[in-house]
Formats: sequence, C-alpha cells, structure tokens
Amino acid sequence: MAAAMRGVGFIRNIVGSLHLRLQILGGASQQLSYLHTSISLDSKHWEKNNRKVYPPQLLDEPRRPAEVYHSRRQIKYSKDKMWYLAKMIQGMSIDEAIAQLEFNDKKGAKIMKEVLLEAQEMAVKNHNVEYKSNLYVAESFSGKGKYLKRIRYHGRGMFGIMDKVYCHYFVKLVEGLPPKPEQKTSFDQAKDYVQSLKNRTIIHSL
Amino acid sequence: MATSMTRTFGALRSVTCSSLKNAELALDVRHPGPLFLPVRTKKRYFIPPAVGLKGKKEENPETKAQAAGIVFRQQYFERPINIACSAGVFDPYIPPEGDARLSTLSKEGLKQRTEQIRQSATSQLAIRKIKEHDSEFSTKTFAEQAQEIFVEAHNALTHFNREKLHSLVTERCYPEMTKGNRYKTIRWRFVESLEPPRVVHARCPDMVTKGNLYGQVTVRMHSKQTIAIYDRFGRLMLGSEEQPKDVLEYLVIERHLINPYSRWRLHGKIVPSWAPPKDPVIKTVAIPGPELNPWEEYDALNYKVPKPASVQWNK
Repeated sequence: MAAAMRGVGFIRNIVGSLHLRLQILGGASQQLSYLHTSISLDSKHWEKNNRKVYPPQLLDEPRRPAEVYHSRRQIKYSKDKMWYLAKMIQGMSIDEAIAQLEFNDKKGAKIMKEVLLEAQEMAVKNHNVEYKSNLYVAESFSGKGKYLKRIRYHGRGMFGIMDKVYCHYFVKLVEGLPPKPEQKTSFDQAKDYVQSLKNRTIIHSL
Repeated sequence: MATSMTRTFGALRSVTCSSLKNAELALDVRHPGPLFLPVRTKKRYFIPPAVGLKGKKEENPETKAQAAGIVFRQQYFERPINIACSAGVFDPYIPPEGDARLSTLSKEGLKQRTEQIRQSATSQLAIRKIKEHDSEFSTKTFAEQAQEIFVEAHNALTHFNREKLHSLVTERCYPEMTKGNRYKTIRWRFVESLEPPRVVHARCPDMVTKGNLYGQVTVRMHSKQTIAIYDRFGRLMLGSEEQPKDVLEYLVIERHLINPYSRWRLHGKIVPSWAPPKDPVIKTVAIPGPELNPWEEYDALNYKVPKPASVQWNK
C-alpha cells in the first residue's frame, strides 16, 4: 500500500516537473508530450539545448540569465575519475573553476579546463553574454562513453575482457553570480528537528 | 568472467561421444554424424571482434564486382550550377555628400534631384538595355515596386519564411541578411515613407559570357522604421520597438534579364562614406588595446582608439 502511494506520488512528480518545463518554454510552438520519448544512441541531446529560443521578454520581467550548454565526447578517461573533478567544480564561478583545474594534477583536469574555456568563448561570441567572468558552473557531470573491448590474457588459457574506457563530460554555464549554499545554523537545525517531531500524527486513530 | 576456451570444447566433445555410443552401427556407416554436435547453441564465451580481423587485408571491391558481372553507372564528379545573381554591386552609385541634409523643397535640392538621373549616360544606356529585355520596366513605377519588395523581404525576415525570402532577395544578399539571426527574434516595422522613392542609378553588367546580362538598379528611399532584435533568451540586444528612426537607404535591386522567369530582387545596400554612425548595441564590448611590453603601462601611453575609415561599402 505504501509502495503504491509512493509510486503514485513519483508519477505525479514527473508530471509536475514536465508541467513546469512546459510553462518555462512559454510560447514554444512545439507541444511536449507527457510520455518519455526515447533517445537513440547517436543523438547529442545536451548540445541541442543551445538551440532553444525564448520569446522576447516584457519590460517588467526580470532579466533572464543566459545559459550555455557544452560537452566533450569520448574523452580517454574513466567516468568515475572524471566524476570527482566534475563535482568539485559544480557551483563554482567560472574563474574559480578554471583556477582550480589548472593546478590539479589529474589528467581529466586539463581536458575539463579546455572545455570550460571553450564554453566561455562560445557564451561571449554566440550567446550574447556580456562579461565573460559573470558565469558560474550550474551543472557539471560525467557520463560513460562507448568502450572498446580488448582481451586481457591470464594464465592457464584464461582470458578477461578489458574495457578501454571513454567518458563524456557535460557542463552548463549560467550567467550571474553563483548561488550561495544556504548556511543553516545549528539552532535552526535543532528547531526543524523539534518541529518534525511535533508534526507527527497518528493515522487511523479515533 | 575469465573462462577457459578449451573447457567448453571439451565439454561438448564428451557429450557428443556419449550420445554417439548409443546410436546404431548402420546409421553410423551410412550417415556419419558431425563430430561436434551443438548441444547447447548459446555462445557462452566471448571473443572481442578485433581478434578475428587482425590478419584480414582489404581486397579491391571494384575488381570483385567486375568479376561478378555487376556494372556501375558512370559517376559524374561535376554538377551543373545555375547562377541566378551576380557576385556584387558593379560600379556602385556614389551618393553625393549633402544628400541627406538637402530637402526637396529647397531650390538646390530640387535641382540636384532632377539633374542626377539625367546626367549619367551609362545609367540611361543601362535603362534602355533593361527595357529591351523587360518591356514593363519604367523608372517612375519601379521605385514603388522596389520599396514594396524591400518591405515584404523584411517582413519575411521577421517571420523567417525561407522560401518567400529567397524569392524576394538574391542569393548574395540572403546570407548577409540572415547570418547570426537564426536563434534571435527580430521585430521590424515599416512606419511610413518620408519621401517618395527614386531610381538614382542603373547598370547592366554581364558575367562570364558576353550575353549573360544582369540588371542592377539603385533606388534611394527615405523612410521611418523601427527595429528591435532580441537574443536567444528574449533580452533586447539592439534598437527599441517604440522609437522609430529616420533611415536614408540606397537599395540595389537586381534581375537576371536573360531569364524570362526572373524577378526583381533585393541584391544589397550601399552605405555612403558620410553616413552617420549607427546606434550602439546594448552590451559592453571590449575594444582590443595596444600590445604592451612588460615595462610599459597603459595609462602612460596616450592611446587613441582608432576610428574606422569612412569609406563607402556595400552591405
């Protein structure tokens, strides 16, 4: 019963998020379906986000921050090792991120720095970003690329399949100052805890 | 996942041997069964594809096809191209200095207007040539037609109607109009025309061969327009929607005269050398500064930003 409730809630969350996405696009001519459409292996979905055009803003609306999506595919590096670097720079401003990657000893750091610089240049040239330092890394993550398989020879005629690992790296830069993570004091946390205890109710009671 | 290749084959052999023992002798003699009966047909060992392909050399597929008797059609590496517009503006019209400031009402302005088109003999010759090929051409009506083409072309640009834009604008002008605008929203409005448009210049150049005539006519128009360009995120980049501006333009309209189905299309604009500077973009742009040596400082040098040379150019 509880699992079914959770499942329904999950579905409702998906529908809700799709609703939000529809509202954000506003006057987009295409109708988004509520079904999850499958993406084939060859599609580069992340780069296609750069083609989204928003309708002109009215005067009283706050200025929409510019978003730039960039990626690099088939990097000869492990996705797990790349993940550490990707999550390190998530949330940093772009100058800080480039500085950190420049003095990091890992192989992936050099590649990631190149990707960030490319994305910054793209933002200034093509996407009407005014100041190249006024960007921050909103999303940054790594994904698995297409692996090559080779034989690794063991003793006694045994063999193993060796994967030559490749990874993709995705980054999204947004214009503006990086959002500050909410600093919760210990007193606030204690207050929230006590409140959660007080919110407990007894179901199916008289 | 480490498995032995020999182990799988060994298992198969033992199973097949046991099954064969039970079979009859006669069957064995008449139809000798396969030594390796596939008992389990699922491939349980994995060999990566690179292993098998190591020693393979690529044979010529052409010789194979010839031997088989397949005949391929001859491949042509050339393709005919139809050039429907000329490469640029030939012998461009040089607008006189005081064109924008003198109004038609003053005496000098009126004289200037009436004398201009009459003066140039080449223009008259060109107009005569155009009238040979296109019987409906007349300098008086053509100016209005040109303005209509201009307005329709810009409306098609705002809605980005590719087919209509190609029919109203030549292939040379199309990329200049649409480059960089794919992910931008353009709002353009033609408010009114301040002066009636006039034909000021005409030329009939021929390209490549002698008879391949293209007619280029320059039209001068003074009008009020509003333009507002929004970038990908809906933020205003240039201009404003409410504030109209007075614009004096020299349009070049072209037609491929030999082709009976050709149409008069916008080919380009002439920007005179005395044109006032355009409004700046709503954006801070960095101008590249001088190359500094390590011991120099920018404040010490009295560096003046170089102004672009005022030369007439074709848009």
